[in-house]
Amino acid sequence: MHDLQAPLVQRRRVARGVFVLGFRAGPIAREVRAGQFVNVLLRPGPLLRRPFSVHRTEGELVELVLRAVGEGTGRLLELRRGDRVGLLGPLGRGFALDPTAGRVTLVSGGLGVAPMPMAAHQARAMGMEVCWVHGARTAADLCSEWEGDEVRWATEDGSQGVRGTALEAVPEPAGQVLACGPIPMLAALARRWPEAQVAVETVMACGTGVCLGCAVPLTSGVYTRACTEGPVYRAGSIDWERLPAPTHRGTAP
Amino acid sequence: MTAPPGGDRRPLGVVGPAPDWGGPLEVGGVRLATPVMAASGTFGFGTEVPLCDRRALGGMVCKGIFLEPRGGAPPPRIVETPSGMLNAIGLQGPGVEAVIRDYAPLWATWPFPVLVNLNGETVEEYAELAARLDGVPGVSGLEVNISCPNVHRGGMLFGHDPEPAAAVTAAVRARTRLPVWVKLTPATGDIAAVARACEEAGADALCAVNAFVGMALDVRTGQPRLGFRTGGLSGPAIRPLAVYLAHRVAQAVRIPVIGIGGITCAEDAMEFLLAGCRAVQVGTATFVDPNAIGKVVAGLRRRFSEGARPAAEAPTGGGRRRRPVRAIAGGRVVE
Repeated sequence: MHDLQAPLVQRRRVARGVFVLGFRAGPIAREVRAGQFVNVLLRPGPLLRRPFSVHRTEGELVELVLRAVGEGTGRLLELRRGDRVGLLGPLGRGFALDPTAGRVTLVSGGLGVAPMPMAAHQARAMGMEVCWVHGARTAADLCSEWEGDEVRWATEDGSQGVRGTALEAVPEPAGQVLACGPIPMLAALARRWPEAQVAVETVMACGTGVCLGCAVPLTSGVYTRACTEGPVYRAGSIDWERLPAPTHRGTAP
Repeated sequence: MTAPPGGDRRPLGVVGPAPDWGGPLEVGGVRLATPVMAASGTFGFGTEVPLCDRRALGGMVCKGIFLEPRGGAPPPRIVETPSGMLNAIGLQGPGVEAVIRDYAPLWATWPFPVLVNLNGETVEEYAELAARLDGVPGVSGLEVNISCPNVHRGGMLFGHDPEPAAAVTAAVRARTRLPVWVKLTPATGDIAAVARACEEAGADALCAVNAFVGMALDVRTGQPRLGFRTGGLSGPAIRPLAVYLAHRVAQAVRIPVIGIGGITCAEDAMEFLLAGCRAVQVGTATFVDPNAIGKVVAGLRRRFSEGARPAAEAPTGGGRRRRPVRAIAGGRVVE
């Protein structure tokens, strides 16, 4: 775990209102695994850090993908090259890839693209065949970048690829399934593939396991910490009815 | 209720020992390594904040525990607010037996003291917890939590008024030889009266203050934004409120006061020391910066080594009794 001051090095648009920000943070870039996250501190900015899955790494760069949904993300998108943020990470448990499965299907909805490029990269490095299925409301919201051997699109309005959610565009056999996206999509995915690994999003404060704020309810009746036991879970282990969708409401300092 | 000392113009003085004291300091029966401690609920059981500079840590208070394990409150459990956060964790925790088995042996090997934050739904539960922890190696003291806003029974309900606060304090006192600290709630008509009641019931120190009860609503759904509906407000947003209440408490009692509430840097800690506190606890800031305590202590050391002291006179104010006075000369504490 590192706590670094990381300068913004690059920024690019990958969908309507969605941007990839690249920060120079070599120690984190070298250690992070797909599905892990960093907790980002903005100063000046809101009191708490903001957690983001690591999207990609390249050399010393740690890339995050985001859309302005509140005060923190709004300020992140206002950063100029060279501006520094605090990056705490890598945090959490990432995806556990199983090369014996031979094939992995990445299922992402909307900003659920976040952990997928790293997952694709790692899976291919392990010799797995990678199919990435990505869904969004409409074509303009689909992420323009993808990695893997095969990509499938899904849009709710049918403007690109299959009409429906990413779930409906998954080709069989899926092999190992890794997913990230809105809670209703993940809950539906859990019914179809209880063994899938899903990366969930919760509100969070510390990111290191101490505040117990990021509680994820399991079907066994206990709460676990998204930041420590998660954010990647076996899909069938989560009590989806009791997992609230994170609400994004910006808070000025 | 006594009037707030709004017009009191008497000078304030630091009563907390300077951090360059050259050795541990004794506060309420506990030997602190520095005057800056980790507040309960923000440092787990001491194993979850790897980036904290532990040489700076005066001591820690572990996450609040009950006799039995507790699952905690339903999510969402936290909401960010201007300069603060609301939390309703609901004292999720492993229960006293697991703490004794899994953590106390570890604590016994650490160079700073660990206090256990006690919670109960009845006076007897607090007393039972105290008895269970008495003599356990690794446990240096008890912090009686009569101020948790996030439980349906017990907790803060004992802290509203002097009588129940004293009853819990006395019951714990009777069942342990360990130092007994009591953590006060701001939700009281007269915190000075509660503080005096705890002192008379045998408390060795008082911690002021726990989180303020608050609520945030989602205007889109019309529902509370916390699963527990209400939560405890902490962070810089409460600091002026907490400094005032800690000051009231420090004026009211002779036992040491540990100041808590929105401390993020040395200057914030100094406010509490000036207000009459002997030591401080850092809480929410650790969620933002895992080494917040290290930075507070480093800043205090710098300030004290520069010898810049705002006042060298005794804190007086409206307290019934005078405390032994410490003044600062040339950056050193002198009696």
